[in-house]
Amino acid sequence: MKYALFLGCMIPQRIPSVELAEKKVFEKLGVDAPELQGYSCCPDSVVARLLDKKMWLTLAARNLSLAEQQGLDLLVLCNGCYETLVEAKEILKRDPQAAKEAGEILAKAGMKYAGKARVRHVVEVLYEDVGVEKIKKLSKPLKLKLAVHPGCHMFRESDGGDIWRKPKQFEELVRATGAEVVNSKLDRLCCGFPMMQVNEEASLKQTLLPKLADYQELGVDGIVVSCPACNIQFETGQVLLRKYGARYNIPCLHLVELLAIAFGFSAEELALNVHRSPVPQLVQKVG
Amino acid sequence: MKAELIEGIKEKVGAGVLKTETRKRRANVTVEPAALRKAVGALLTHRPRFVIIAAVDAGMGIDLLYHFDVGGRLVIIRTTVAKEESEVDTIVDLVPAADWAEKEAAELFGVRFSAHPQPGHLVLPKDWPSDKPPLMGPFKRMLPEQFCPVAESLISTGMTAPMSPLMQRKREEAGLPSAPPASSTSEASLSEVQKAMKGLEFDKKAGYNWKKGKLRHK
Repeated sequence: MKYALFLGCMIPQRIPSVELAEKKVFEKLGVDAPELQGYSCCPDSVVARLLDKKMWLTLAARNLSLAEQQGLDLLVLCNGCYETLVEAKEILKRDPQAAKEAGEILAKAGMKYAGKARVRHVVEVLYEDVGVEKIKKLSKPLKLKLAVHPGCHMFRESDGGDIWRKPKQFEELVRATGAEVVNSKLDRLCCGFPMMQVNEEASLKQTLLPKLADYQELGVDGIVVSCPACNIQFETGQVLLRKYGARYNIPCLHLVELLAIAFGFSAEELALNVHRSPVPQLVQKVG
Repeated sequence: MKAELIEGIKEKVGAGVLKTETRKRRANVTVEPAALRKAVGALLTHRPRFVIIAAVDAGMGIDLLYHFDVGGRLVIIRTTVAKEESEVDTIVDLVPAADWAEKEAAELFGVRFSAHPQPGHLVLPKDWPSDKPPLMGPFKRMLPEQFCPVAESLISTGMTAPMSPLMQRKREEAGLPSAPPASSTSEASLSEVQKAMKGLEFDKKAGYNWKKGKLRHK
């Protein structure tokens, strides 16, 4: 199992503990995932795409072609990067004019896009290629009640596939650690991260707050995500909500961090103190 | 429009010509501000009649459209001066008829025509403050202002945000390299990304100043 790991921007720049956890988890599971060298922002599927679609598509094509050069599929840890790279690949396949324009720009840098590299979400790789049984065997069962927030972009599926395929796999992976998955009626509601760019108050009060309130009522120990943008929203959002009189302090962590904890790595080994929610305390709870 | 006329301008001006467009009775030649005089000089060999300079507020700059009539066909030499500089060479010594048009654009849009032989008042009341040209609006980008930090970072590093020194330190403390192996840390990769940005003209859309390495007029 070898992939080109696409780290994206947010994980290295905001939550490097996910990067640490990914290395430890993949090593334990026998996944060879060297980091893609010289990549750029995917670019992000909401803001950058709206700013300039051609720029968005061309940079995505460049990232895809970097993986192609190595003859590897891309392994992605972020829902936003996943959506961009998957959708860009589809557009480049179906729109010859767009593919020609992007190809001309890449050719000037001596690059070529051929559409050979597949884009794999970490959830797909862990569930389909590694397998839940292997994760169960390595996990020290976690006695935790966890909410799962798959995030909007995880529901993207190409070629008319089942949009619930990856979210269901995500839940199974969380269960593989022994944790109890607690479903909320608001699981499909966006965390509000994209809306933060234009209307902070609406993002916090209309999307994040109802979710947090429901999780609190359900008595969850933490929230598991598969996207650094959602993670940042849950963490900084809880801090920012204090100015509106709402106090929440629910730990939020990425799936690979949860797996690393289940595999026995300590909060220090994973540098979980970079989180802005009480993730290290969650590890103490696990014991 | 005779193609050789446009080709002649391109040949004499060289890289200063940014774009040309030819229609049946009209041609547009877009040039760098520094190449304006060369372009006008090249056109003068065709004995044109000067018509007008149209100035248009283009948000981040002022578009100046120099209209000439060449044998009943319109040739427009077009250039854009950045609002923060707002300066271009005069053509009055080459085309004396452009005097009033330059004065009008200077007063109404705040464009300075350097080396104009006799700059001065033309259309506004004499007591109008010279630093408030009435037709020059505020600096306005093609991109929404709140997304400019993202655009700036994408062009300068290839990433959505620059890596903060604090995070670099935290990464090192955690045993990670100070930055990931991305375009932001590889000169060759960043050069590829930036070439793409230029090729796609995203730098122009965002108003990026390559010399300063940041967005214009921040």
